[in-house]
Amino acid sequence: MKMNRKGRGLFSAAACVAVVGLALTGCTNTGTTATSGDTAAATDAAQTAAPVTGPTCSLADYKGDKIDLTQATVGFSQSEKEDNPFRIAETQSITDEAAKIGVKKFIKTNAQSTLSKQISDINDLISQGAQILIVAPLNSDGLEPALAAARAKNIPVITIDRKLNATACTDYVSFLGSNFVEQGKRAADQLIAGTGGTAKVAVLLGSSGNGVTTDRTSGFVDEIKAKGPNITVVAQQTGDFARDKGQSVTEQLLQSNPDITAIYAENDEMGLGAQAAIIAAGKTPGKDIQIYSIDGTKNAVEQIVAGAYNGVIESNPRFGPLAFQTIKDFMAGTAVGQNVIIQDSEYDPSNAAAKVGAAF
Amino acid sequence: MTDARIPGLEPPVLEARGVTKRFAGVTALSGVDLVLRAGESMALMGENGAGKSTLIKVLTGVHQPEEGELLLDGRPATFARPLDAQKAGVSTIYQEVNLVPLMSVAQNIYLGREPRGQVGLIDFRRMYADARALLAEYGIQVDVRRPLRTLALGVQQMVALARAVSINANVVIMDEPTSSLEAREVETLFRVIGLLRERGIAIIYVSHRMDEIYRVCDTVTVLRDGRVVHVGSLSELPRVELVSMMLGRSVEKVERGGVTAFRAANESDAPPVLVATDLSRKHQIDGISLSIRPGEVVGLGGLLGSGRSETLKGLSGVMQLDRGGVTIDGKSVRSGSVPAAIRAGIVMLPEDRKAEGIVPNLSVRDNIVLAALPKLSRGGFTSRRKQDAVVDVFIKRLHIKVSSPDQLVSELSGGNQQKVMIARWLAMTPKVLLLDEPTRGIDVGAKAEVQALIDELAHEGLAIVLVSSEVEEVVEGSARVIVLRDGSIETELRGDQVDESALLAALAGSAS
Amino acid sequence: MTQATVSLRVPSRSAVLGVFQKYGVYIAIVLLLLYNLVFTPNFFAVDNFRTQFVQVVPVLIVALGMALVIGTEGIDLSVGAVMALAAAVIPLYVGYGLVPTLLIAIGVGAVIGLLNGSMVAFIGVQPIVATLAVMVAGRGLALLIANEQLKSVTSPEVLALGRDSVLGIPYSVLIAAVLVGVVAILVNRTTFGKQLIAIGGSRRAAELAGLPVKRILLIVYVLCASLAAVAGVIGTARLGASVPSTLGNLIELSAITAVVVGGTPLSGGQVKVLGTLAGAVLLQFISATLIKHNVPDAYSQIAQAIIILVAVYIQRGKARVK
Repeated sequence: MKMNRKGRGLFSAAACVAVVGLALTGCTNTGTTATSGDTAAATDAAQTAAPVTGPTCSLADYKGDKIDLTQATVGFSQSEKEDNPFRIAETQSITDEAAKIGVKKFIKTNAQSTLSKQISDINDLISQGAQILIVAPLNSDGLEPALAAARAKNIPVITIDRKLNATACTDYVSFLGSNFVEQGKRAADQLIAGTGGTAKVAVLLGSSGNGVTTDRTSGFVDEIKAKGPNITVVAQQTGDFARDKGQSVTEQLLQSNPDITAIYAENDEMGLGAQAAIIAAGKTPGKDIQIYSIDGTKNAVEQIVAGAYNGVIESNPRFGPLAFQTIKDFMAGTAVGQNVIIQDSEYDPSNAAAKVGAAF
Repeated sequence: MTDARIPGLEPPVLEARGVTKRFAGVTALSGVDLVLRAGESMALMGENGAGKSTLIKVLTGVHQPEEGELLLDGRPATFARPLDAQKAGVSTIYQEVNLVPLMSVAQNIYLGREPRGQVGLIDFRRMYADARALLAEYGIQVDVRRPLRTLALGVQQMVALARAVSINANVVIMDEPTSSLEAREVETLFRVIGLLRERGIAIIYVSHRMDEIYRVCDTVTVLRDGRVVHVGSLSELPRVELVSMMLGRSVEKVERGGVTAFRAANESDAPPVLVATDLSRKHQIDGISLSIRPGEVVGLGGLLGSGRSETLKGLSGVMQLDRGGVTIDGKSVRSGSVPAAIRAGIVMLPEDRKAEGIVPNLSVRDNIVLAALPKLSRGGFTSRRKQDAVVDVFIKRLHIKVSSPDQLVSELSGGNQQKVMIARWLAMTPKVLLLDEPTRGIDVGAKAEVQALIDELAHEGLAIVLVSSEVEEVVEGSARVIVLRDGSIETELRGDQVDESALLAALAGSAS
Repeated sequence: MTQATVSLRVPSRSAVLGVFQKYGVYIAIVLLLLYNLVFTPNFFAVDNFRTQFVQVVPVLIVALGMALVIGTEGIDLSVGAVMALAAAVIPLYVGYGLVPTLLIAIGVGAVIGLLNGSMVAFIGVQPIVATLAVMVAGRGLALLIANEQLKSVTSPEVLALGRDSVLGIPYSVLIAAVLVGVVAILVNRTTFGKQLIAIGGSRRAAELAGLPVKRILLIVYVLCASLAAVAGVIGTARLGASVPSTLGNLIELSAITAVVVGGTPLSGGQVKVLGTLAGAVLLQFISATLIKHNVPDAYSQIAQAIIILVAVYIQRGKARVK
């Protein structure tokens, strides 16, 4: 459900990321999390430096001024209320990284899920002397006035987690976000590995009409088709990214299809709901019926540790290292990608106990 | 106000010729002629349903006549909508002011035609000055920058009037303009009306208040049943004749007996069961005191708007009183509370049976026991046995024609519905029964039955107050009649005085 | 009863409509069961019916309260928010045991009901406006109480409420069955019920008949919110987690649909308790059928919309026949 809100927002980001995702296929499977500071940032940077395939943006292209981060004022505009783990982790990551790098002055604001507040937040940041802006847009549209204000002062804007309907390298420098198709694909890989390649799967979809849902579905289904000849998807039903809906839908599906052996849930909450339904049906989650989901929340990862859950693909909220690395490169005159994919981690029974601390 | 002006000499500004208007087959206006001359102040009179409001709506473009035509300054005119009439100079002042309460007085006066400065911006200084000057003409001094709603209602009305006149009114129609005004405000209004007339503006004045009519108007047009029954000078028309024309009862032809099912009513000499003292509520009733004895039917006479229904509402707790109170057998009754009045034994049959009386989706049984339900229950649970005992008795006694007590009350005829309502109250064993138009809208046979029932209940010792717009019903049903006018008691008719001519005279408020 | 009414002679159009008005929801349930008997594997299994009834409980309990409010010509949009509030307070008091937790949750619901009822009865705010405001504010308050966090509920007593059975019948279903009985008696056999219906039929007439209209309205809204709180506790017990951000989302729509499909007109003056039960069960069977046949979400939404339209159409016909 927390993811629901985020997911809904990421809606339009998805389409664009999907395109980039095709170009970047194969850049996955690092188990590294972004918590280890420099290393992770370096890894991310290394990877994002690579995609010369995508369009890029340099300081000259953007017509910005060269700024030394340690002498700069950096503003961060968070979009939504911090009432879900993703937002908390995202803000924390950026705040931590700013301190680590030694940014001269770091100012953050939270638009409390209100578009007009985000516009005034950004204007406030500019008037407080922000020279670089990191923005988690609340909406794909509507921030034009704020962007124009930044543009007027040639302030570089890095957008994260939700893509704007605006021109990269003109209205903003670049966009950093997850590849949702890739997340679905990796969940499929986990499931194929975990079930030994034979399974009857029920898919719990996210909210209908949501781009994240579409991507996580197509990534999963296509991968199963390609690599899991003995795996059948017996049902696809929406659980609206909510735990209770995930539970009741799973109950229904387990009754009509008692031979289901695995669940793929497009967020952790629905996965946890499915887990409750499996218990209620008198079966053992993780064994009789395996559960895979996407998000990386602590609640789900703890269940892997407990042996009652089988795999979680992370949707990485820790944009700090990647964002500041991108800014550094950009200021150093390097052309940075206009669309930068953040590295998502993953959890399975072999690493969950060790990495549960990293879950958000 | 009936000054030296001779209306006949002025040219007509507004005329209606043979105007006919029907609603769903019912004729509201039938061949109505009306001539209004510059500077004339015409009273438009008629009881409920006479067609006054329909005529006004035709004159102001709200309705379009099916037959007949309107003439403005002698030329045919068509008002397709109210705006057309306004543009042509016919303005209406309603009892509810229809301006923008949050805007300033000046803005309201100049709404949509604000004086502009050089760059097209509103010239507020000029607007305020103009507004101040305009209102000063009517002797009104207010801060024109204040929001309209902060002013007294009377002043708001004056602003509406000033706006209407300053636009370009030739004719101003006033519908009950004084109904919510203080006495002082009424005086101001009358002064303004005088000013308007001096400028040649014609006025159509609608009011139920005889005194006002005779003060403000010089001619009168009387409507009854959608037709014009009289046109003429007001000063030559005795009040009693005006009233008898409105009611359709000829003064000479008044005689007693035979029309209704009432027996000769007796005056009782038992101590009064209900005593009401100084019942008052702003703009509705003022200082009404009356007492009723058991077994007595007291008629409440009065024209529409005289405060008849309001008096019943005050007695039965439906209307909150500003002043005064009611006692039953010497014990005072909490005012403004229907349950308290019912507990004390005062019950009322409301005027609008369909909207305020019956609960249409419930059965006859449920409707009869509605008020008595707690008495017919055990520990909050309804008792079918106790209910049936009551319901059966009343269905038989009142001859309510139903297929079964479970029949929906909405399927019954009006007369039977009224009997259900009476049964509902008799089940409460009341002491005082207030009847507001008990026979309106029911057929002749049922009417006689209801009237006989009222008689019978009184003979059994129930104190009854009867309100009816049918003169003969009041006269024949009541032992005495209290006549109301403008919310106060005009007179009381007792014994031999209770006849139609005396009642008509009293209604008119003439010094008879 | 349906067989008796659908006789062999050719019925007139209005007679057919009349049958549907009276028994439409039951006919629909029977047809749906027949369809599932033939086409849905494993539908006619005890376990499946147990699941359907367990899942219908929250909507049913909310719909019972909603039926009372609709009977007074009102509406209560705040029921979902009340469920969220009940869910939000559970983790705070669960340490005191099941009964205190339950009482506190219901108490919170009652307070919200008092608020709704006071606005409607005493201030004269339109029910849809009053409860809409509370719906928005209530969920906000729930998130505030819960510190915007999902909290797992591990108390075995509370979990038992959502998961355990007696004689094969889940506790939650038993509670719902008792509540259906209580509300049915309340509506059909008590002074309060009759007065409530009279108010819905004609508020003015009820006032002039000396009925304590304001008090009754107040109590009706308190009952509705308290029932929603019970639904919130049961929903939380079933999930094993207090999820104030999503629990009861859009349940007001399901509840209103159940009430209307069950034959209670939105214009008030009637309350069909068994119809409401049938309406809720019908909605549950429809959603189960669609899920079991793996119908995409978009189609299920359209199907639900059609059912609402049909129900409202039939209701409209009823009003016209009158």
